[in-house]
Amino acid sequence: MIKYQSIYLSFEGKAILQDFSLDIKKGEKVLILGPSGIGKTSLFSLVLGFVLPDRGEVFFDGELVDKRSVWSVRKKIAYVDQNASIGLGRVMDWFSFVSSLKANQARDFSRERICELFELFKLHCDFLKKDISQLSGGERQRVAIITAVLLGRDVFFLDEATASLDKELKKTVVDFFIHRTDWTVVSVSHDSQWMDAKGVKIFDMEKRKWAS
Amino acid sequence: MGVLDISVTSLIFAFLLLLIPVGISRVFRLGLIRPILNASMRMAVQLILIGIFLKYLFLWNNAVVNILWLFLMIIVAVFTAVKNASINWEKIWFPVFLSFSFATLLIVFYLNVFILRLDYVFDAKYLIVLGGMLLGNSLRGNIVGIDSFYKNIKREKERYYYLLSLGASQYEAILPYLRESIKLAIKPTIAAMATIGIVSLPGMMTGVILGGASPETAIKYQMMIMVAILTSTVISVLLAILLTSRVCFTDYGAMGDF
Repeated sequence: MIKYQSIYLSFEGKAILQDFSLDIKKGEKVLILGPSGIGKTSLFSLVLGFVLPDRGEVFFDGELVDKRSVWSVRKKIAYVDQNASIGLGRVMDWFSFVSSLKANQARDFSRERICELFELFKLHCDFLKKDISQLSGGERQRVAIITAVLLGRDVFFLDEATASLDKELKKTVVDFFIHRTDWTVVSVSHDSQWMDAKGVKIFDMEKRKWAS
Repeated sequence: MGVLDISVTSLIFAFLLLLIPVGISRVFRLGLIRPILNASMRMAVQLILIGIFLKYLFLWNNAVVNILWLFLMIIVAVFTAVKNASINWEKIWFPVFLSFSFATLLIVFYLNVFILRLDYVFDAKYLIVLGGMLLGNSLRGNIVGIDSFYKNIKREKERYYYLLSLGASQYEAILPYLRESIKLAIKPTIAAMATIGIVSLPGMMTGVILGGASPETAIKYQMMIMVAILTSTVISVLLAILLTSRVCFTDYGAMGDF
């Protein structure tokens, strides 16, 4: 599904990835582990075309990620970034903005569907009226996760997406993503809930290999 | 009838007023004596030169010369705008030039042809004076608009990328920033329109009245120019952002080096 082939990546003169290769198959649940600054987030940015490798190639679903394909590749990946960079205004305004994008107009962003997911992640339906600037870190993360699910895509890039949630919620979110066999999930996280979950493959960025 | 002339001797008396700010600067140690004198000198030299130029421009009143002069003003405005922006100016000066030229020419000729119904639409008195007013008054808005657009995207890089990841096209991803920048650019003009006449007597009105026209004529000119400034600012900011965004973003929609 996602293939990194001999990637060299540097940022402001500092080498981040050198001859890096990794293959993630369809339906796999992968946890990326490693200290900060080692290039975990870059793995996402490479596939999404936010950074370009100095050398090497990235493939998504067998297709080389380049300036032409990247726009359609982005539409197949649901990404939750580290800061849960959801917009301003009320929570409901955010959802209507996302659903107004051409790429997402066929998706179900109905109130019922949103509230259903809210309930699953311990939020009340009234939460839609809340102002985003007043949300806690955990609430923002849940909105970002719910947004990702509503996009109806089956590849998920989760960058520390559960960091600000309480233990119980972390478990709920991890279980939610693990149980869908058709979903390919790549998660960067320090949370033990991901490590302990069954069927999660762990990739150690420091040693550059799969942990057994 | 015409405006009362100021003799050279009288002008010296006008400059004597500078003794007050200079004196204040000295007493309060503002350190502004040199900047005040410097700026006054520059103002005098620049205006004397422009006075001579305008004298001949009005005298010749040649279409080609007038248009060239208008373009010279546009180019100076463009470089003032792009030098003030925090973006690589070599990359953006041409799109900005196209935007300013289009907005200025469109509005000036609209005024000359449809409002003032001039027989000679290239008349220096109108073409250059109105063009200069449009450029001068929309310059700040243009600078604020273009600069804030790129600054905000740069500052909110993560959010911008997140929008792209949601499936936004390049246009959809910059739209929220485009909206904010246009609003910011025309806010001062809207505020000026709302308070005009009460808080300030605008320069153009003062000029027209001193030039011997009635206050009725003066207010009509003022209304025309305010609407023209607002419109040309909106057009030039919008075009400048849309056109520069084509060179400032990579084919991946990522940000190039601006």
